[in-house]
Amino acid sequence: MKKLRLAIIGLTACSGCQLSLLNCEEELPGLLDLFEFHLFPMACSPALLEGEYDAALVEGCVSTPHERELLLELRKRSQYLIALGTCAVWGGVAALRNGEDREVLRQQVYGQSRIACETAEPQPLRSVVRVDAVINGCPPEKNELLGLLADLARGTLPAEIDYPVCTECRMRENLCLLTEGDKLCLGLLTSGGCKARCPSMAVPCEGCRGPVPEANLAEAMELYAQKGFDRITVLERLCRFYPEWKL
Amino acid sequence: MAARFISHDNLELLLERLRMYGNLHGPVRGDDGVVRFTALSPGTPPDLSAVRSLLPPKKYLLHPRETILTYTADAGYQLPSEENSPLILFGLHPCDLAGIQYLDRLFLGDDPDLLYTARRAALTLIGISCTPDDFCSCHRFATPLEAVSDLFLASVDGGYVVTSSSPRGYELLKGVQELLEEREIESPEDSRRFFGQAVSGPAFSELDATLPEWQELANHCLGCGACSLCCPTCACFDVLECGGLDGDSAVRVRRWDNCLFKSHAQVAGGMNFRKDRAERFRYRYRHKYRGFGPLRGFPACVGCGRCRVACPAGLDLRPLAERLEGAHHEQ
Repeated sequence: MKKLRLAIIGLTACSGCQLSLLNCEEELPGLLDLFEFHLFPMACSPALLEGEYDAALVEGCVSTPHERELLLELRKRSQYLIALGTCAVWGGVAALRNGEDREVLRQQVYGQSRIACETAEPQPLRSVVRVDAVINGCPPEKNELLGLLADLARGTLPAEIDYPVCTECRMRENLCLLTEGDKLCLGLLTSGGCKARCPSMAVPCEGCRGPVPEANLAEAMELYAQKGFDRITVLERLCRFYPEWKL
Repeated sequence: MAARFISHDNLELLLERLRMYGNLHGPVRGDDGVVRFTALSPGTPPDLSAVRSLLPPKKYLLHPRETILTYTADAGYQLPSEENSPLILFGLHPCDLAGIQYLDRLFLGDDPDLLYTARRAALTLIGISCTPDDFCSCHRFATPLEAVSDLFLASVDGGYVVTSSSPRGYELLKGVQELLEEREIESPEDSRRFFGQAVSGPAFSELDATLPEWQELANHCLGCGACSLCCPTCACFDVLECGGLDGDSAVRVRRWDNCLFKSHAQVAGGMNFRKDRAERFRYRYRHKYRGFGPLRGFPACVGCGRCRVACPAGLDLRPLAERLEGAHHEQ
């Protein structure tokens, strides 16, 4: 079988999603039989963007003209482009301060020193290019990353997850942290697939996987209000990983 | 009438004896207050006062996620093989027994499911009587499902009247004979009597798609799936083909699904037979109270109340059911 040619790059983000892939130590040798990791700056010596790719896995937000060019170039050269992790899919932590004055933010971080590049509000990939599939999570689950690669090896893509964190939480017979524990758990609105990792440890869901399809925000807000959480607190929590909840 | 009686004092000895026949599981209240069916090891007593567990016993017969077919280049397609050591479920309420009977109809019928058949064969059911609470509706709607078990413990003063209804139950009864005493007791009435009733009338007619209730339910639904995960008779599953990382092998997985999820009625090309939640609610209602396909006129609701208890929005199909189906017998 011909090896699939991959490009794996990070834009504005913490590189944690790419690291999650590198942490699959047991599987890495096997992956080398199936894939040519042609462009993977985080893992390999610098390589040039050249030729065409069977798939590009992109972590992070687009926040500089250079990143925008790079993303457009990758899109042109790749059969599939996959958003890797919550920043790439939803904006995530990188887009937390969108809507605020960027000059003020620049001064808070860099003071009077000049920074070399021009930046814009960090945007998820779909603001710039067509995205063929997404892997949610901050960082993504190992089994989802490996599942994506296995799917790519067969010329297909992972199915959309259309159930919230609550589904897998109930399957694990956890105490409901919201209705029974009176905690601000965002599982109801958050895309599943993590096997309710946090609520299973009695830690409320932080919403790191972004909104579930068909999220019923109005009813959820009603429920949070009944539990004594005001709208601002809930929205602030929600917006940590998907700033557009505000809209 | 002579009946076999076991005192509350002898219950622990009964459990100890039952452990000799297989793995013994029953309802246990965890430190977090959640009641789950789990192993009744010595020192872990069953919580016989709990009205319902979070998940019903269907989890033993259909796992939330499981492999149903494996492919490798060398061996070709292979059905999963698993060892099913004998499992005894203790403390099943009549609704859960009826729920298992419904699953039997689905999975042991014309085209038996191999995994289900093997697990079911390894299962011994020991029922116990209960007192319905405000969420229960076993006593409000007719169901032709029967609450059948191998052994049943019906509560009476100071203990239980024990009856067997299968050869396996009879064997168990013989094995625990010295823990029982013959007593002159009238057979107590218990909630099994709510089951096994013929239905007629509305159960066979179509539902009105224009009822405003469908949209009202949809407006409040959070789409979390709790209602069907916790339902003893919900058995919808999704099937996924998962390729292995060697490039050759693959497994076919089935996992619990929910009719309120977007993908439940979605087909190739993104088309969807039930695009909005209101339509999905009508579908759900029809399954629970009227049945469809070969099970038309065969309601699937056993009245355990789990969907109402588990729903974060507190959605309840019962008021609508009372209007459309009519309450059928005395409280």
